[in-house]
Amino acid sequence: MMVRPTALAFALAALFMHTQARADDPLIQRVLVEGLRMSQLGIADSASAGSIGQKELEMRTVYRPGELLEAAPGLIVSQHSGEGKANQFYLRGFNLDHGTDLATWLDDMPVNQRSHAHGQGWTDLNFLIPELTSRLDYRKGPYSARDGDFASAGSASISYANRLLRDVATVSVGQNGYLRTALAASKDLGKDGSEGTLLYAIEALHNDGPFTHGDDYQKLNGVLRYSRGYANNGWSVTAMAYHGRWNSTDQVPQRAVEDGRIGRFDAVDPSDGGEARRVSLSGVWRQTSAYAATKVSAYLIRNQLDLWSDFTYFMDDPVNGDQFAQPDRRVTGGINAIHTFTAYHGKGDGAGDRNGDGGIISDISVGLQAQNDNIFNGLLKTRERATLASTRLDHIVETSGALFIENQTRWNEALRTTVGLRANDYRFRVQSSLAQNAGATSDTLLSPSLNVAWAPFKRAEFYFNYGQGFHSNDARGTVSNVDPKTLEAAGQTPGLVRSHGMEVGLRLEAIPKMQSALSLYRLDFDSELTYVGDEGTTEAGPPSRRIGIEFSNYWKPLKWLAVDFDAAYAHARSRGLPSGQDRIPEAIEGVSQLALTVSPVGAWEGALRLRWFGPRPLVEDDSVRSHASTTLNGRIGYRIGRDLRLEFEGFNLTNRQVSAIDYYYASQLRGEAAPQNDIHFHPIESRSFRVTLVKNF
Amino acid sequence: MNVVPSPGRNAPRRRPGRRIISTIMKFPRLFFAAALAYACACAPASAHSFHAGLTDISFNAHTGSTEVVHTLMAHDVEALLTNLYGQSVDLTDPQAQAVLRKYLEKQFWLTGADGKRLPLHWVGIQVDTDSVVVFQEAAQTASSKVAAIHDAVLADFLSDQVNTVNLTVDGNLRTFGFNAGHPEQSVH
Repeated sequence: MMVRPTALAFALAALFMHTQARADDPLIQRVLVEGLRMSQLGIADSASAGSIGQKELEMRTVYRPGELLEAAPGLIVSQHSGEGKANQFYLRGFNLDHGTDLATWLDDMPVNQRSHAHGQGWTDLNFLIPELTSRLDYRKGPYSARDGDFASAGSASISYANRLLRDVATVSVGQNGYLRTALAASKDLGKDGSEGTLLYAIEALHNDGPFTHGDDYQKLNGVLRYSRGYANNGWSVTAMAYHGRWNSTDQVPQRAVEDGRIGRFDAVDPSDGGEARRVSLSGVWRQTSAYAATKVSAYLIRNQLDLWSDFTYFMDDPVNGDQFAQPDRRVTGGINAIHTFTAYHGKGDGAGDRNGDGGIISDISVGLQAQNDNIFNGLLKTRERATLASTRLDHIVETSGALFIENQTRWNEALRTTVGLRANDYRFRVQSSLAQNAGATSDTLLSPSLNVAWAPFKRAEFYFNYGQGFHSNDARGTVSNVDPKTLEAAGQTPGLVRSHGMEVGLRLEAIPKMQSALSLYRLDFDSELTYVGDEGTTEAGPPSRRIGIEFSNYWKPLKWLAVDFDAAYAHARSRGLPSGQDRIPEAIEGVSQLALTVSPVGAWEGALRLRWFGPRPLVEDDSVRSHASTTLNGRIGYRIGRDLRLEFEGFNLTNRQVSAIDYYYASQLRGEAAPQNDIHFHPIESRSFRVTLVKNF
Repeated sequence: MNVVPSPGRNAPRRRPGRRIISTIMKFPRLFFAAALAYACACAPASAHSFHAGLTDISFNAHTGSTEVVHTLMAHDVEALLTNLYGQSVDLTDPQAQAVLRKYLEKQFWLTGADGKRLPLHWVGIQVDTDSVVVFQEAAQTASSKVAAIHDAVLADFLSDQVNTVNLTVDGNLRTFGFNAGHPEQSVH
C-alpha cells in the first residue's frame, strides 16, 4: 500500500505486481489484511473458548454495556428491573441470575460480588466503558485451573487498552430520554512516550427506557490509567469510579396486564430503584521473555449498593406492601500472580523443535489468587424506600486463597494437553443481627482439570475436556441456624459446591473464511443455587445435571461482510427428584442468533442481529413455561469525514411485545383477596432508536 | 565498529532502482524463508520464535534520494502493535499505519556527519502474510552522507531481536548488526 506516490513507490509497485501478492489476494487477507477473527486452531483448549477483538465488539449493537458479553456464543444478557441494576445472565442451561456461575473479570479485577445482599455473584457491568474495551476472552465449562469461583458455566475476561489507536469523543441521543456522552483518550508522556502513557475516559448517561415511570437512570463514570512499557513487558496503575442511580420497574404480574389493571410498561411500586457506587484502584505488572512470563496484579475495590425491590406487592403486608431494601457496602482487595516457564523444550539436543524433529514443548504455570471481602449488608423491610424494620443485618468477612499449577504440553504437531490442579480455601465469618445466625466456618476444595486437543488434519481440531469447578455459597447461609423471617430452624449450606464438567468438541476451518465450532457437554452440580423471590436472595438447592450442545459459526465470505450464526440447546434437570418434578425453573433451553456485519463499504457500515431467546420452564413440573422471544437489532454507520462518523442504532426493530424475563410465583396486588400464582414478566424495551456522532482525533 | 564483511555481495553496479528491488527480492526472501521456517516450526509457541529484521539503505541516482527499506516479520509487528494497543491491528488501516510509523521513527534513524538526524520521509508500507516492508527515503541525500545508524526496531519489545542493516555506498555494500544492547553504530 503506497501512501505517497514517488518514483520509488511507482517503481516498486510495478515490480512487485507480478511477484508480490496484493492486498486483495485471498491468501493474504486471511492473516493480517482483512482482520478476520483470529483463528483459535492450535491455541484454544476447547471448542467453546474464544476471543473477540475490539473491532468486532465495536460493531455490535448494544442496548446496555453488559450486552457486550453476548459476543460469547450462547450467552444472553437481559434485565428484569431498572437500568443500573446488575444484568440477568443466561448460559449453558442456566438462569445465572445476576452472574452466579459466570465469572466475569475486568483487567484482573473480579466483577462478581460474593455473599451479595441481593444475589450470589452479583455482576454489575454498568461501569464498563465500551470505548476502552480492547478484548473479550471467554471460556465455557470448568476446564481451567486458572478459573475458580463462579466459573462453572463459563468465564469472561474483559481487557481495557493501555493506549488508544485514536482518541474518541461521542454524543448519543435517543428515544425514551436516552442521552450519552463519552470521551476516551490516551497520551504518551515525555519524548516519544518515554515517560509512560496516560489513558483516560469519562462517560455520562441518562436513560428512562419505555417505562411509564421512567428509570431516570443517571450514570457518571470515569477511568484513569498510567502505564509504562508494553502490555507483556510493563506495568499499569488504574483508578476507576462509577456512580449510578435509577428507578426500577420490576417485573409485573401477567394477570394485571391482561385484565387491563396496569399497562405492560407500568410499575406496581414506582418507589423501587437503587443507587450504586464503585471505585477501584488496581495495578498489573508483566514480564515476558522467550522462555518465561510473569504477571502480578492487585486490586482494591469499594462497592456500595442501595436497592429497593418489590416482587410480591401486598402479599406479606397488606398495609405497607412488601417492598424491601438490600443495602450492600463492601471493600474487596486481592492479588493474582502467575508465572509460566518452559520446563522442557525439544529433544534435549538444544535445538528444540526448530530443527523440525517434532520435539516436545512443555510449559508449566503456577499461580496464586487471594481475595478478601469486608461486607456490610442487610435485608430491610421498607415502604417507599423508608425503612420499617430490619429482617437481618450482617457483617461478613470472606477470605479466600487459591493455588494452581498447570502443565501445557505440545507433544507434536497434532497433540496438545493441558493438565491442571487447583486448591481453594475459603473462610467465612459472619456477625449477624440475629445471634443464632453468626459464626465462622471454612471450606476447602481441590479441582483437577484435563484438556486434550488433537489435530489430525490441518484445518480441524478435536477436543476432550474434563474439569471440576465450584461456586461459593452466600456466607450467611454457611453459618445460619434460623430463618430470619420465621425464626424457624434452618439448615446450613456448605461453603463450596462442586461441579463436574465434561465436553467433547470440534473446531473446523475447512471451508475458506469460515470458522465453526461444535461442542457437546455435560455439567453436574452437587447443589443448584435457586432464587428465593420474596427474599430476593439465592439459596442452595438440589443437585443438577445439564447436557447441552452448542454450534457456532463465523463466516466472512467477502471482505466487507461477516456472518455469525450460533445455536445452543441445553437439557437441564434436577437430580434425585421424580421425573416430572425435576425441571429447573428459568433454566434456558434454546438460544440462537444470526448476525450480519458489513464492514466499511465506502462511507457506510452496518450490522443486523436477530436473537432468539428460547422458552424456559418456570416451575419444576413444567406446567408453566415462558414464551420464546425474538428480537432484531441493527445499526448503520456513515463516515462523514476522515474523523467524523454518524451512527444510527435501532433496538427491537420489529417492536415485538415479548419478555426480557419471566418468573412464576405468588403475589398479591392491592385489592386482591388472596395471593395468586402467576407469571411475572419484565418486558423487552419497545422499538427505539439512537443517533450517535463519533469524533476521532 | 562492528562491520561484518559480506563476501560476494559486491554485485556489479546496476540501475539503482533495480538494485533495491533485487536486494529485497533475493536476499530477504532467502533470509526470511529460513527465518520463517524457524518461526513456523513452532508456531503455537510463539514465545520461542526467532526474531530478526532487515534494512537496506542505498542511493537511487534517478531520484537523487537515499532509500531505506525495512523488512520485518509480520508476526513480530503484529505482536508489537497488539501489546501496545491491546488489540490486533489491521495494517491496511491508515490509523494503524500511522502508529507503526510513529513507532518506527522513534526506533530508527540515520545521523549525518554533523551529528544531526537526516530527515527520513515515510513513503509507505507493504504487507503480506509473512512480512511487513516499510519504505522510507532521505530526499536529495546521498547514502555517503550517513555517518551513523540507530536501529532499535523491535529490540525494545523482543529481547532477542537482531537487526541487520545493509548499507550500500558507491556500490560497496557493508552489513551492520544491531541488538538491544547495541542499538547504534558509526559507519566509519
